[in-house]
Amino acid sequence: MAAPWWRHCRRWSTVCMNMSSYETVWHFNGRSVSSSAFLLGQVSWSSRPGNERQPPASPAQRNQRMSSFTSSITRNKAQILGPTLQSCWCRTIHSDAKHKDPFTLAQRDLKSLYDDIKKELFVSRQELKFLCDYYFDGKGKAIRPMIVVLMARALNIHSNRDGDLLPGQRAIAMISEMIHTASLVHDDVIDGSDRRRGKRTINEVWGEKKAILAGDFILSAASMALARIGNNMVVKVLCQVLEDLVRGEFMQLGSKENENERFKHYLEKTFKKTASLIANSCKAVSILVNSDPEVHEIAYQYGKNVGIAFQLVDDVLDFTSVASQLGKPAAADLKLGLATGPVLFACQQFPELHAMIMRRFSCNGDVDQAWQYVLQSDGVQQTNYLAQHYCQEAIRQISMLRPSPERDALIRLTEMVLTRDR
Amino acid sequence: MVIRRRLFLLAFPWSAIRGTRGLFSNSAPSNWTKVVSDAEKIVGYPTSFMSLRCLLSDELSNVALHVRKLVGTQHPLLNTARGFVYDSRNNLQMRGLVVLLLSKAAGPSHTASELLAHDMHPQVLSGFLSHRVDLKEWTVSDGPLKDMQLGNKMAVLSGDFLLANACSALAQLNNTKVVELISSAIGDLVQGIYYENLSNTENRRTNGIDVASWEEQMFLSHGALLAKSCQAAMELAKHNKEMQMLAYKYGKHLSLSHKVSLSDLLTKHHLPQNLRNLGHLADIHSLFSLLNKAKTSRNQLDYSKLLAAVKSEKGVSSAVDLCCYHSNKALEAIQAFPSSEARSALENIASTITKF
Repeated sequence: MAAPWWRHCRRWSTVCMNMSSYETVWHFNGRSVSSSAFLLGQVSWSSRPGNERQPPASPAQRNQRMSSFTSSITRNKAQILGPTLQSCWCRTIHSDAKHKDPFTLAQRDLKSLYDDIKKELFVSRQELKFLCDYYFDGKGKAIRPMIVVLMARALNIHSNRDGDLLPGQRAIAMISEMIHTASLVHDDVIDGSDRRRGKRTINEVWGEKKAILAGDFILSAASMALARIGNNMVVKVLCQVLEDLVRGEFMQLGSKENENERFKHYLEKTFKKTASLIANSCKAVSILVNSDPEVHEIAYQYGKNVGIAFQLVDDVLDFTSVASQLGKPAAADLKLGLATGPVLFACQQFPELHAMIMRRFSCNGDVDQAWQYVLQSDGVQQTNYLAQHYCQEAIRQISMLRPSPERDALIRLTEMVLTRDR
Repeated sequence: MVIRRRLFLLAFPWSAIRGTRGLFSNSAPSNWTKVVSDAEKIVGYPTSFMSLRCLLSDELSNVALHVRKLVGTQHPLLNTARGFVYDSRNNLQMRGLVVLLLSKAAGPSHTASELLAHDMHPQVLSGFLSHRVDLKEWTVSDGPLKDMQLGNKMAVLSGDFLLANACSALAQLNNTKVVELISSAIGDLVQGIYYENLSNTENRRTNGIDVASWEEQMFLSHGALLAKSCQAAMELAKHNKEMQMLAYKYGKHLSLSHKVSLSDLLTKHHLPQNLRNLGHLADIHSLFSLLNKAKTSRNQLDYSKLLAAVKSEKGVSSAVDLCCYHSNKALEAIQAFPSSEARSALENIASTITKF
């Protein structure tokens, strides 16, 4: 057990060297979590330049620390991944009475979410209206608005107010779902996907051009709603999301030859494509109620870490979930030529994957072969661990807020992110 | 300007490869060119349609790299990209110029509107040029299938990229009212393009549409952005609601007049689309036969022949009337502005459109 861990950890640490300090790696789970930055929690994205690098620990220190690292990971694995891994959302809800269930708690604020969105999408042409409303059918998980309203309430209470949402905060919950949906519509065009949330995609039914226009329209409606909030900082924060989404999509088109760079590239892409929206929406609701930049940063960091964890789990589900559960075909990422976390980890055990990654699984049999390698490796497990680390950092961040049922629900949510199966 | 243009050629090599020449480059400098260059002198510098920042960004050069692969294929994105270069003198640039002139005519402090005209406005438009591209289902006969699909991806992504950039530029203006105005203009554009597609497929073979719905459609797809940008420029300079409305009207009627005008018909390289638009007003079949008549032996259009032929058509006179009507409306709106060099430039622009 220890030997392979050694290997992975060493590889990991080289990855982390680029982004965070050595020191933080060894403290990540247990002893001095609060005093040192967390494993990848401090990865600086484009917004924060210049990481401090600390000199690597001596080999002796490293060995000593390694053992505690290894044991804590194993322990952690048993705790978090063990019994609940395969359970569905609803089962985990009742497993821990201490923390409120996020879904129940957010429900009152999300009741009219989809109706409100449809009202924003004001179009005279019937067909375009139908296309724009297509995905706002209440069948999505609406996980982004849920995080946003819980965060807003937690922050309101933290700021000595009652929890009730400000109108602007409610709008941001709505806007986050609209931006997400618009990006899905365009992604489906780019990827040529034919199914989404158990439905045929817009591009599949109405063609690519109409799908692009529908996406554009949803976005324009979202940005009008955003402008009406009337806060310039909020506008800037959410415009950053739009830039990140496109940049993330561009990053997805390229692949890196170097293995460490490739992992960094993957995490950065994951941030831009998924986490940026959640992080910046959380930041936006904090701006509306609190003027303290430190509070904004807590909200942002929670969203960022949960967002990355969410996507990592999504990438795992692409390998472990059956098609019917996910609402889209399995191994979809491989078929698109994308090397996600599980593949990148598997590549450490099966170097044969390297060539396949570089040719984006384009040769006959590549997808099947890569799929086999991933399942034979512990790539899935390792990606899950990584997701756990991000969740723990999210918990560390959100715990700095004053206690409230909503804050606890956000903590609970990180666990549900890890254990979801669809 | 020259440098920017060179940069652009660097980024978009096909324009040099294909060597398609714009109309203005081979016809004698028209009234229009003079009006525009006079107006540019008032604003102080040539209005290039794409900011340097945008051209130099990694992502766009990334697009250029990918799009290079498309050279030699039939992907419509190439035409669009070529359009970036050639439309620039006529459309995108003209619009930016109008916004600048308006803020100058309305009074002092137009730095913010410069940002609006230079950074945001062109990007929104070019973004939509990409999204306007006819993405079609490619078959093997169109060339290497992978390249064509790549072209589709690039069209979507570069459009999204330019729009996202435009939004960021908008956010920098620190005025949420302006953000709302431009966002709603984007919504109008989308509806207009959508509408245009539908009517192209549904109504093309029937007798066309009436003037009112043609105007509505043209306003959405061409006028709304200019009208709302003009209004936004007034808002940025803190002018009152009344001035805002006048600027809006000027922009609206100018773009409608421009849309009906024959100058627009002849300065665009994708001519059939314009003929079709006009054709709704005139008789579409005779227009297409005109188009055929005006073709030279080498199967290229002789524009002077076409212009003469189009002018002599009966149905076209109603288009000319409509053009004058909107041009006058635009002139009317601008009269409320204090007399200045910038105002006369705006008057020149509006009246030159009707000089065929």
